[in-house]
Amino acid sequence: MKINVMTDILEANDRIAADNADVFNKHRNLVLNLMSSPGAGKTTLLEKTAEALKGKLRLGVITGDIETSRDAERLQKYKLPVVQLTTGSACHLDANMINYALSHIDLKKIDILIIENVGNLVCPAGFKLGEDYKIMMLSVTEGDEKPLKYPQMFRESSLLLINKIDLLKYTNFSLKEAKANVRKVNSKMDIIDISCTTGDGIPDWISWLNQHYQKKFGTKARA
Amino acid sequence: MAIARNIVNIAVAAAEKEGAKRITKVNVVAGELRGIVPAQLTFYFGLMAENTVASGAYLDLEITSVMGKCKDCGEIFVVKDYCYICPKCQSEDIQILSGTELRVKEIDVE
Repeated sequence: MKINVMTDILEANDRIAADNADVFNKHRNLVLNLMSSPGAGKTTLLEKTAEALKGKLRLGVITGDIETSRDAERLQKYKLPVVQLTTGSACHLDANMINYALSHIDLKKIDILIIENVGNLVCPAGFKLGEDYKIMMLSVTEGDEKPLKYPQMFRESSLLLINKIDLLKYTNFSLKEAKANVRKVNSKMDIIDISCTTGDGIPDWISWLNQHYQKKFGTKARA
Repeated sequence: MAIARNIVNIAVAAAEKEGAKRITKVNVVAGELRGIVPAQLTFYFGLMAENTVASGAYLDLEITSVMGKCKDCGEIFVVKDYCYICPKCQSEDIQILSGTELRVKEIDVE
């Protein structure tokens, strides 16, 4: 006997993601899902962002790490609200994990919440978390063909940060080639070249954050 | 793995609702954009199905291609190699019609 099922496999996840988004909107949080391969520089970016936003917009972080709490420890000195999710063997964060994290972070004290996904260019793309934007980070030591190898991630993200541009001269990475490859899979993606080591491009990233915060909430900061 | 687990859960719930004793086949439709690797999903599906009514069931995986529609000229075409450019007018403004679906379509039970 055949039974007609027609059930979406990720429906449960998408439903929880929508609930998370409601909670974020209620607390006036701009939420970003930051994705990259391991070692691209996500945690260093968070450190630089915390420094640059100090006294302006208030940053909060949910970070996913497979086994350790190293990432959260690095962020402690900035006195940010940080929740560490240890994912065990899971290669991505899902909406349910974020839902759990919400009860461990004071969203009222946050303007911009960055969710640092597990370093992986494949699995995170399929799982919505309740974010406003997906952001990708690609470092120049990884190769300029990455957009073509992992098109789904690039297709779904609104912004690409190309990191470690201070190392360009030591690699065969071509910024022009990388950007042309990005355009093939996602013609609307914003691209910012940065170096978390030298600080190049960080002001452009901060103004992207400001612009998108204002776009969502209208005012520069909450009263 | 999370996807394999969800497939088993959905199939088992549907079978139990109908009072079926055993699932012999699960038909899943996956859009190409979901990046499903058939051999890998089949392996994890088998693992997750152990000790359930879906144990030993065959996973029938249907991969659907990506269809795009040009927002400028209206051309509908198959997107190959993730190249989102209209073959007729070269526009890059493409709406995706299909290729992101991921669902359990039907199951065979005894």
